[in-house]
Order: sequence, then C-alpha cells, then structure tokens
Amino acid sequence: MELRIDHVSKEFKDKKAVNDISLELTPGVWGLLGANGAGKTTLMRIIAGIMHPTSGQVVYDGVPIQTLAERYRDVFGFLPQDFGFHPEFTVKDFLAYVAALKGLPEQQARRKIHKLLEQVSLADAADKKVAKLSGGMRRRVGIAQALLNDPEVLILDEPTGGLDPGERVRFRNLLSEFAHDRIVLISTHIVPDVEYIATCHAIIKGGKLLATGTTEELTKLVEGKVWTCTVPAKSVPEYENKLQITNLRNENDGSVSIRYLSEQPCNAVSTAATPRLEDLYLWMFPESSGENDRRYH
Amino acid sequence: MRIFRLELKRVLKSRLTWTLLALALILSVLLAWLPTTYCYSSYTDEVGNEVNLTGLDSIAYEKERQADGSGIVTPERVREAVEIYQVCLTSYGVTESYDLPEGVYEKEILPIAPLLHGVKEAFADPDTGMAPAIMEIDPARIDDYYSVCEARISSLMAMEQPGSPAAQREAMEMYQKVEKPFEVYPGMSSTILDYQNIMGFLVLLFCVVIAAPVFSADYQSGADDILRCTRHGRSKLAVSKLLAALFVSGAAFVVCATSHILVVNCLFGWECTKTSVQMLYSIVTLAGMNIGELQLLFALAGLLSVLASVSFTLFLSSKCKTTVASLAAGLVFCIAPVVLSMTMPGNLSTWTCSILPASGTSIQASILYAITDFKFLNLGGLAVWTPYAMIGACIIEIPLFAFLAVRSYCGHTIR
Repeated sequence: MELRIDHVSKEFKDKKAVNDISLELTPGVWGLLGANGAGKTTLMRIIAGIMHPTSGQVVYDGVPIQTLAERYRDVFGFLPQDFGFHPEFTVKDFLAYVAALKGLPEQQARRKIHKLLEQVSLADAADKKVAKLSGGMRRRVGIAQALLNDPEVLILDEPTGGLDPGERVRFRNLLSEFAHDRIVLISTHIVPDVEYIATCHAIIKGGKLLATGTTEELTKLVEGKVWTCTVPAKSVPEYENKLQITNLRNENDGSVSIRYLSEQPCNAVSTAATPRLEDLYLWMFPESSGENDRRYH
Repeated sequence: MRIFRLELKRVLKSRLTWTLLALALILSVLLAWLPTTYCYSSYTDEVGNEVNLTGLDSIAYEKERQADGSGIVTPERVREAVEIYQVCLTSYGVTESYDLPEGVYEKEILPIAPLLHGVKEAFADPDTGMAPAIMEIDPARIDDYYSVCEARISSLMAMEQPGSPAAQREAMEMYQKVEKPFEVYPGMSSTILDYQNIMGFLVLLFCVVIAAPVFSADYQSGADDILRCTRHGRSKLAVSKLLAALFVSGAAFVVCATSHILVVNCLFGWECTKTSVQMLYSIVTLAGMNIGELQLLFALAGLLSVLASVSFTLFLSSKCKTTVASLAAGLVFCIAPVVLSMTMPGNLSTWTCSILPASGTSIQASILYAITDFKFLNLGGLAVWTPYAMIGACIIEIPLFAFLAVRSYCGHTIR
C-alpha cells in the first residue's frame, strides 16, 4: 500500500499554494507539519481528490486517484479542517447519512456507528442535533464519520482543534489503534499531537516540502541548537529581544528558566538540551514563536 | 434508493421546509375561499326592502336567478336572449343596460345574462375590432351563431398576427376543432382562475426557496468536503438530492393545487366546471375545453413549470458558492417573466416568456393567460401556440437542467 504525491503543484490567481511537492506515504501515521498558510490544507484537498492540482498527480498503489475515482473514495476517509453539517441532523442521522454515501450496508452501518460513538465518547449525544454540540464534540463527530468505512487512507486536517486535553489523548490512542496497516496523514501545527504517534513527518513551508523523516531523524536537524539556562527575571525582556525563546518557566527562587534556539549558546551557563520535534518546528517556523524572519537551513 | 430516502428525510426534517409547506397549503385554501368574499348581489324584496347579499349567499342567489340561462348555448337560445334584451331596453327607451331603471336589470336581464356572454364580441367589426351594442345586432344573424364566431376568429387573427398566415391558419383549425355548441353554468368568474394563478406562483416561490440551498449550502458550510470524498458522494448524491427536491416540490404543488381546486369547486359548485372556457373568456378562445379541464390543465402546466423552475434553481445552486446567491438568482428567474412581459417589446417578450421555466405559473404571463390569448411563436413557416411552447419548454427544461445540475455538482472543485 502506497500513496504517492508526484510533483504536485497548485497555483491560485496570485499565489502558489503548493509548489512541486513529491512524497511517498507508506502505512503508518504521518504528521504534516506547517504553519498556517503553509499549504497543508490545499495539499490535503488534492490528496482527497476534491481539488485538482495545477500539475502533478496523486497515485494510489500505482494508479492515479482520478482514474480510481469511486474505488479510491471507497478506501478513503477525510476530516476537513472546517466543515459544516446540515442543521437538522442529529449525530446518528448524520453518521447514517455519511455511512450510506460510503456504501455501508444498513445493518453494518448501525453497528459501526454505535461502536464509533462509544470510541469517540459521543454515545450519550447520539440523538442530539449536531448544530447544538460544542466545537470539540462536533470535531469528534467529524472524526467518527472519517472512520466509518475503515479507510486504508485516512486524512485528518487539524483533527485536534477544539479538543480538550483528555479528548486529545483519547483521540491519539484511537488513532494509534486504528493506524495498523493503514496510511494516516495528520495535518497540524500543534506538534505534540503527532510527535509521539506519528512514525514519520513531512514539514512544509510556503507550499514547499522542507523535510521528511522520523521524529529522531528530524530532531537531529536541530541538534546543538537547543539550549537551556536560568536567568534573572528582570533580564528576560533582554533575552527575548535577542533569542528565539521556545519556553519560559518561573522558578521558585525568582529566576526564570528559558529554553531557546540558537546556533551558539548565548552565555556560559547555557547547556545543550535534547531537541524535540517542537524545537525543529519552531526553528523552521520562527514566526510561530514571534520571530519575524529566520533562516531554517 | 437508500440515499434518496435519507436525503428526503433530511429535507423534510428541516423546519424551513415544513414552515413553507404548511404556509403553502394554508394559502392555497385561503386563496380558494377569497374570491367568494368579492361576490355581491342586491335586490328589492316583495315588501320593498333592499336586500344585500355577499359571499356564498350571493353566489347561491345569482345561480338561482340565472338557472334558466344555464345549459347548452344553442343559437336559438342566444337569439332568444338577445331578443329579450332588445325588447326590454326598447320598452324603457334606453340603448345600454346600465341606463335601465333600478331593479329592472336584476329582474329581466340577469336571468339571461350568461347566454349574452360573447355576443357583442362575435359580431365585432372585422376591420376595426369594435364590438357593437347588443341593440345593434340583427337577431336573425344569430341563427348561424357559430359560423359568425368562426368568421370572428379569422378576422381577429388577421389583426393579431398579420404577418403570419401559418398562425392564422393554425388558429382557425384549432377553433374549428372546439366542441360546439358551448355550455354555460353560472357561478364562477375568471377571477377564480386568477387566484389559482396566484396560488401556483406562491407555491413556486416556496419550492424555489426550498431548492435554492440544496447544493450551495453544502459548499458554504463545508459539508461538501466530507460528502464529496465518499464513494457515492458525487453523481449518486447529486441525483438523490435533485430527485428529493423535485419530489418535495412536485408533491407540494400537487397537494396545494388539489386542495385549492377542491375548495373552489365545492364553494362555487361543481356544475360550473362544465362551462366552456369561451363562455368565461373570449368567445373565440382557441382551447376546446371546459373550466374544469382548464383548471386541471393549468394545474398540470403549473406542476411542470414548478419542476422546471426547481430543476433550474438546483442548477443555479450547484453553481453558486453561497445560499444567498443561489436563492437570489432563483427568485430573480421566478419573477423574470413578470418583469419581462411588462418591459420587453411584443415578439421578444412572447418568446422569452414562453421559454423561461417559471412562465407557467408566473403572474401576468402565465399559461392561463396564454391559453386565453391568441399569441403564436413564429419560426419560419411554423407557428406554435404559446401554451404548447410553454409546456414543451418545461418538458425539455426539467431533464436538461437536472442533467446540468448533476454535471456541475460533480465537476465542482473547491476554491
């Protein structure tokens, strides 16, 4: 099983949203990391087959998805970033509707809906109108619909937006269980959501693919660039001006422990820290931590 | 079938749909009853008191008074009615019925009035179209009343369609096929069919409001992103959505039109439906049918028009990104025949109003007025009576716009 993104580009009137991206997705959980506007959603829509690329193609098991058409959608699950429901639908109605569209037989659909509602902790809300649910609950309904047909390829665009910490943990566990022998691509800019469950990551910026690899491979890119030190509280503004600080923690003695990204330590008391995926992300997307411009190579 | 059932359930679960359907049904019944409130009669009773009647009492009174004038309109009966009229007016020394002393019209002319309908028009001047007063008509000429009517349609068509011998010929052939003698059963007026027209137009508007968001709401809300990625989320879903919208609209129109006609006929009397259309509209109306058949034909044409308009609105919906845009576009095309019929020059207006999907039920430009009019679409040597063109256009437009809507939905790509 392989999903190949083959030199895919997408141009809009005044912008190239995806710029010649090539990527081979194999079974496992993939994290698609990028800041807002990096081109993640456009790429996901192209993979979902609901947006045509300007050039290039998406190929599933050697056949372009446009050619596979229904056969591809049969093994495909998609949770878009922003999606709506018909206001008149209850949770169960909506899932039954999508199950019918996915071609699930009625009996099987009923069993599957029941099971998924348990898994996403929505069993008690089955008869509630979707329009009256909270944002997090709606998100879980969205996750449930994407899993209805046990897809071989599951694409989730910002799936954890609006979920509380407990729900995020449940979601991660559900996904880890589900991901065996399937291709799961999760787009997010919330790095911890994918750090531990994704086997591989792809990082895009400005529509271009910057790096791919496992968490270990990618964090090596910022090895020796992550530092920690403790500084007096009054000098924090000064450090904030000259460093890309990724974390600040007030200590009991009035000092502040800082974690920062830099080619060189800023003082003699700084010690090298073990890099995490978030450090790489912030190194590559300095604007995410308040820096306006930063080299990432 | 399962997707269609679920889509139908979805549409019917919407509060907007139920509100509009309930409103449509209430208005249909209300519009059937409303014409009775305009009925008014007055007479002087045996003791000299003036009695005023309204509503159903007035209808019953006039029916009773005109009972002798109802039935088959033979030339002999028309001649007799004209003679009674002329004798009455001569005896009072007047030339028009409105100059008669108070109470005389009700007593002497009203009973025979149904038979006098169309007499003046039948004897209109062939060159100017001016109708004579009944007092000027020679009763002896009425013995060949229906030949006079045929001569009138010939002269009328020469005036209406001077450059189209084909239309003149076609009109003559149609009128010759109309069953004669006519029949008349007093009680109904043409206002009743005007109200059926208003009913059809309102149901059309409601159906367009229901159909307008079918595709565009999914685009706008983002639900389309999910549905489109499913196995049957393209052509099958599009067809199911389309069929559900057409089914709801069609069923709504059938229920409303049936309720309306039933209530009208119950209030005004079923026997009135046997009246020939020529005895309610122009004596030379080309349609060979009675009022009951006209009600049904108008309802059937209205149904086709609603389905064509909904089909067209669904096509617009598949093209628009927001519900407001699709709703606005749908409603614009609903009222387009009304506006165009008033603003465009003659022939262009006839063509446009004949082919627009909403024309069948449009106010002022509906198929009802086309049936009682003498307009033809001329194409080369071919002349097509506008009601045929309207019905034909709808029959073509329903599948055409349905196909285009499905095609447009399937080909829709996102932003």
